[in-house]
Amino acid sequence: MEREAGSARQSNVLTPSVPRDIGARAQRQRILDAMAIVVAEKTFSAATIADIVGQASISRATFYKHFADKRECFDAAAKSFVGELSDTAIGAQSSAESRPDAIRQAIAAVLEQLAAKPSYANLVLINAPILEPGIVTDHRELAVEGLKAQWGAGKGGKWAGADARIAFGRAHVLIADYLAGDRADELPELQPEISYVMLLPFVGNEEALAQARSAQ
Amino acid sequence: MSSSSQQGQADPDSLAGIIEVDQDLHLWKLPRGRHGLPRELVARSQRERLIAAVVRVTAEKGYRATSVADILKAAGVGRESFYRYFENKEDCFLAANDVLIDDLEAAVADAYDQPRPWPARVRGGLVATLDWLAGNPDITRVMMIEMGTVGPVAILRFRQTFHRFTAMLEDGEQLSEEAPDLLTNRASIAGGAVFARVYEEVAIGNIENLPQLQPQLTFELLLPYIGEEAAAIERDAANEELDRRNSAQ
Repeated sequence: MEREAGSARQSNVLTPSVPRDIGARAQRQRILDAMAIVVAEKTFSAATIADIVGQASISRATFYKHFADKRECFDAAAKSFVGELSDTAIGAQSSAESRPDAIRQAIAAVLEQLAAKPSYANLVLINAPILEPGIVTDHRELAVEGLKAQWGAGKGGKWAGADARIAFGRAHVLIADYLAGDRADELPELQPEISYVMLLPFVGNEEALAQARSAQ
Repeated sequence: MSSSSQQGQADPDSLAGIIEVDQDLHLWKLPRGRHGLPRELVARSQRERLIAAVVRVTAEKGYRATSVADILKAAGVGRESFYRYFENKEDCFLAANDVLIDDLEAAVADAYDQPRPWPARVRGGLVATLDWLAGNPDITRVMMIEMGTVGPVAILRFRQTFHRFTAMLEDGEQLSEEAPDLLTNRASIAGGAVFARVYEEVAIGNIENLPQLQPQLTFELLLPYIGEEAAAIERDAANEELDRRNSAQ
């Protein structure tokens, strides 16, 4: 206690409360990272709190300081990574020269991010839909809204009949297939094909192929 | 008990169990191998009963909540026999999945391997898939939803199954002049549309209506291979067939 008080007094000189806050946030992040690793390895149902605290090198009590249960921790991990993906997609578009270019850039950036964090990718794209199939709908809305915003609704009159479930579904299945097949590092190579499937219902086969070709 | 001796080692109670289980799970459709010695016959039937039981119990309770004891009880088979065939619950469940996938694949291959133009063969295979799934709603839910909760091995198996089915589409590669270098995962892209839509319907419990997806999914399966116009022709044929079927009911 003495030493802690001493070090607190010391840090007070610089920034009073921030270090403790950073510590807590870093700890929380470590738990989320551990969650992703354990779930990617064992799947959510088989993962235990013991696995997670072991992976994070923290105590069980520390885990429960941050999360009520395994599911709450899982949801937090999923939410944080979906947020990252969304920010990545939006950020990637800022330097784009045209709308199709923006879509290609966003897809490329998302694939890079998935390849860089395969455990989180597995958590969000394989484990989350198993746990709660409805979550796919939320993720799809995010992706499709982004697409629509860029491409412009109604273009070519194809939007009305376009089935976004198919576009997102194809992309989801293809990416999950690479993840399950231990091919996360190859995900960036899928950029032309993901561009093709995402655009297909909205612009038609010819145009989607043309766009994919420019992505190549 | 007189029928007991008539049936060899099986007692009448568990025999009734087999019939009931078989009817529930449509297991009579399963391919049956040679039946040699009586002991082999009993052994096969014990294994089949365990396989039918794990599916039935999982459909009722969910995979995680199912115990080996539940499976034994539903199958009317002893614990020792169980461990002669299977290492554990997961092994038993995966064996059941394999048997069911083999059955589905046989039904799909029958419909696909017909002397018709390739797009019509694809539609035939799709219709067989949707009909099989819709005709076995409990099994479909177990194979698609519960399968995901089994563990990493099951996820790999699931992936292999997906590729077993999309491999059938490879014939179409000869037909499509378009972009073989561009769409290196064409079969997954085509089959992914079906898998994603079917999974979504199964997840919301809409299994009986899967055959209604036939026209749209015919189009989506063929689109990456033969383009919009040709895919739309087959979709129209699918619509006609579906109309005929719906009005016949």
